[in-house]
Amino acid sequence: MLRFDRRLLLNIDWVLIMAVLVVALIGLANLYSSTHLYTNVGAPLYLKELTYYLFGAAVILLIVSIDYRVLLALNYPLYGAMILLLVVALAVGKTVGGSQRWIDLGFFRLQPSEPAKLILVITLASYYYRKETGKGFGLLDLAVPALLTGLPFLLIAKQPDLGTALLLAFVFASMTLFVKLRWATLATLLCCGLSAIPIAWKFFLKPYQRQRVATFLNPENDPLGTGYHIIQSKIAVGSGLIFGKGYLQGTQGQLDFLPERHTDFAFSVWAEEWGFFGSALLIISYFFMILWGLNIAISARDKFGVLLAFGVVSLIFWQAFINLAMVMGLLPVVGVPLPLFSYGGSSLLTNLAGLGLLMNIRMRRYMGTS
Amino acid sequence: MPPRPLAKINKIDPAELKMLKKRIDIAMVVIIVSATLLLTRLWYLQIYRGDEYAKLSEINRIRIQEIAAPRGNILDRTGQPIITNRPRFNVVWNREDAPNPDAVIKDLAKILNEDISVLLDRIRAATENPRYMPTRLKEDIDWETLVTIENKHLSLPGVRIEVMPSRDYLYGDFASHLVGYLGEISRAELSEKHYATYQSGDQVGKQGVEKIFEKYLKGEKGRNYLEVDVHGFEQRQMQLQDPYPGNDLHLTLDVDLQRTAEEAMAGKAGAVVVMEVNTGNLLVMSSNPPLHLQEFIGGISQTDWDRMLNDPLHPLLDKTIQGQYPPGSVFKIATALAAISEGIVTPDATYFCGGSLNFGNRRYGCWKKGGHGTVDFQRALIESCDVYFYSVGMRLGVDKIAKYANSLGLGKKTGIDLEHEKGGIIPSSAWKQQRYKEKWQDGETLSVAIGQGYVLTTPLQLCRMTAAVVNGGTLYRPQLVHSITAPDGKTLKTFSPISEGKILGSAHSLALIKEALVGVVNSPGGTAKSVALPDVLIGGKTGTAQVVNLSHVTGMSEKSIPYKYRDHAWFTSFAPAENPEIAITVLVEHGQHGGSAAGPVAKAVFKRYFELKNGKPENPAEEPPPSPAMDEKGE
Repeated sequence: MLRFDRRLLLNIDWVLIMAVLVVALIGLANLYSSTHLYTNVGAPLYLKELTYYLFGAAVILLIVSIDYRVLLALNYPLYGAMILLLVVALAVGKTVGGSQRWIDLGFFRLQPSEPAKLILVITLASYYYRKETGKGFGLLDLAVPALLTGLPFLLIAKQPDLGTALLLAFVFASMTLFVKLRWATLATLLCCGLSAIPIAWKFFLKPYQRQRVATFLNPENDPLGTGYHIIQSKIAVGSGLIFGKGYLQGTQGQLDFLPERHTDFAFSVWAEEWGFFGSALLIISYFFMILWGLNIAISARDKFGVLLAFGVVSLIFWQAFINLAMVMGLLPVVGVPLPLFSYGGSSLLTNLAGLGLLMNIRMRRYMGTS
Repeated sequence: MPPRPLAKINKIDPAELKMLKKRIDIAMVVIIVSATLLLTRLWYLQIYRGDEYAKLSEINRIRIQEIAAPRGNILDRTGQPIITNRPRFNVVWNREDAPNPDAVIKDLAKILNEDISVLLDRIRAATENPRYMPTRLKEDIDWETLVTIENKHLSLPGVRIEVMPSRDYLYGDFASHLVGYLGEISRAELSEKHYATYQSGDQVGKQGVEKIFEKYLKGEKGRNYLEVDVHGFEQRQMQLQDPYPGNDLHLTLDVDLQRTAEEAMAGKAGAVVVMEVNTGNLLVMSSNPPLHLQEFIGGISQTDWDRMLNDPLHPLLDKTIQGQYPPGSVFKIATALAAISEGIVTPDATYFCGGSLNFGNRRYGCWKKGGHGTVDFQRALIESCDVYFYSVGMRLGVDKIAKYANSLGLGKKTGIDLEHEKGGIIPSSAWKQQRYKEKWQDGETLSVAIGQGYVLTTPLQLCRMTAAVVNGGTLYRPQLVHSITAPDGKTLKTFSPISEGKILGSAHSLALIKEALVGVVNSPGGTAKSVALPDVLIGGKTGTAQVVNLSHVTGMSEKSIPYKYRDHAWFTSFAPAENPEIAITVLVEHGQHGGSAAGPVAKAVFKRYFELKNGKPENPAEEPPPSPAMDEKGE
């Protein structure tokens, strides 16, 4: 199985690799800018991130060398492992910033909710592939994938990490809409979804989460409290003007006005220092990568490949869109990192693994049934 | 691992592919719309509203620290500094820099010789302030403490010395009412237009020339542009604008003469005004008791203020311009001028003084109970005969007297560059009608003729009157400031004499009066003979102003009259008689006799003036005490 088909090498997706490299290099340079003044213990963060990248490259190599179709057999064991990790995180996890998301492995602090995103994509792609429905999915047919999504959703929301939990819901919704739904199902789902919002607001959201949404709607009401993130981020992005303040010259970032500037608000640092040109370049690179991912999906050799690629693309798209919209003040502050750009090993490895899957599918698009 | 399932997976069905492709197309549209939305938002933030956010980011990071400008110096007419600036050293505490605050504060308390609880209270009071803001622990430490702290600064982390310019009063309470004091700008002042550039916490002149010439003295604040981080800690200095010192104010005052006057007035309440008769420039403006200017630095306490407010000697009042007193016999100068100019009397016409004059059904007494006998114009002024002036006053009528008094600058403000000047009162029949809605009584004219009754004047007004009478008849506006110079020495503004016009009365009339005034000091029977100096001819006029109606004090010996009922003593004078240069007016509150209480003060100042002029600048030996055998007792 590990024997490499020589033909595969001819089909290596250089376009995707180049796109990833561009974003990765920009991300690393930006990470240096946002963290070089930090006085943390141990290696500088950009070196750590570089290590994760190298490790991620190895993960990609491993992934592309195995035919993605094995996942059809591995999806439930993977799903089981994911649920187990999420439970462990809740039970013995490390608490950082008020939420319990981390499992300390000694050399690495794993955030199981990150790989959970990708594993959910694999699980849903497998399920939808297997479930043949001629006339489209009915409401009952969706019960199983809804449960499969609901379980990690609740575990992650309990941490609490509403951003990641919502992201799972978005991915579930995207993939479900992608496979054929009956119109009646769609209508019912829409109604349920809309009526769920006020109920969730009242019973499900914690006070701080409600506060965040209220602050988003009017950040100037609370400029030093919860509105601070949004205001400072908008100032950072806006003050970049056309060409930016120059590399390492951003005042909002370098002088600490910008919170979470190496993680969730990394884009703000970039936008401040590189202005409209740099920011537009980065956004275009992202969306090029995403659109290229759709191209991979449609050129896959089988339906599983299509579903899997689409799932990975929707995962990357939603993370990027939510993060960018958040730092530019279009969405409330929910902790969703910008893929490949925000610092964080778990997130980076998850996204690189997802991109590895895309390359895997791309490389095997001409393969026969063997 | 399972090759089996792999084999099961078929290539995609073209029909299904077609359907999925349609959905992929929808997804692409969604993605492109999202990208467009994000790019539009980016454009909105960075380009459409970019300038606004750029400004906000500058405000975020730049803190402008203002550096107080040294205030302009205040100098005397010879250029001798009166008030300058000195650095004031405050001990401040920056808790962020101290790893072990308790030990440092303990050491510091010992050095400052303060109880540790005092320092801790100050730190506690400042806990609400931002962390970067240092807490002031002690103000204005002395050199020794400063040196100790600087030597130990390594063992006192977090302790710093802050330097602030502060007023240095080289001569203590010298001319205190006139120079005034500084204080923190009040909320009410901040809302005024001419304080528009000030900020709360700034020091401004609150009184005297410090207030009037504030805009010249204040200078330009410096600005230190500091880049700060989110916690407010300084990262680096971006730009430093040095403060520009204020302009120097050259007063017309003479340090030496002012001090002589203040020393002569020590222990008395009253005022001394010295004016150059040909310019209106004031060489001395002294009001006693003085303000203690040191008490005003950093704000005066309520108890100090109340104490001054309730002091029977009224230290808060600037008596030179705000003290309104009956001029007493000094006013006879005005009555005499009116009488001779109006032709009521000739120089030789005589009146007989038998000690009193009956008018209506009242008896008006002369100060000399035995009477002066036959007096002419000159003798009447020299001996200050009340009966003579009752008679001429009666014939003049109050309105004629008022006309001349007004032309001598009495009954109205002099226009000096100081605030809260009082105008005094020169009564007339119209004035009384307006004020009391009553008709003028002729008997009242008699009181007015000798400077009693309703008449009120300030020491400055009487000094100016004297100057006008002896300088040939020109009434000058009193001036305090000679010039204003920039820190680079360039003269910005000079103040030339301002004439308010000629007084009434011919040159001949004025000469007659002047001659009589010289006689007051120099001829037998004159009321101020003790003031005479050996080599300078002085002229002058004494006055005693009744504070209360005589009935309160009749029959009491002078010493047994309560202080507040004692008469005020006046002496107004000029010298040299041949060609007068300066006029001196002295008021001693409750001093009882013009000649003996006020005269010596004027004499001391004259003596010093001519010593300085003739090149004997060393401090004069103590004035010999006035001869006990003084025969002149006011009037």
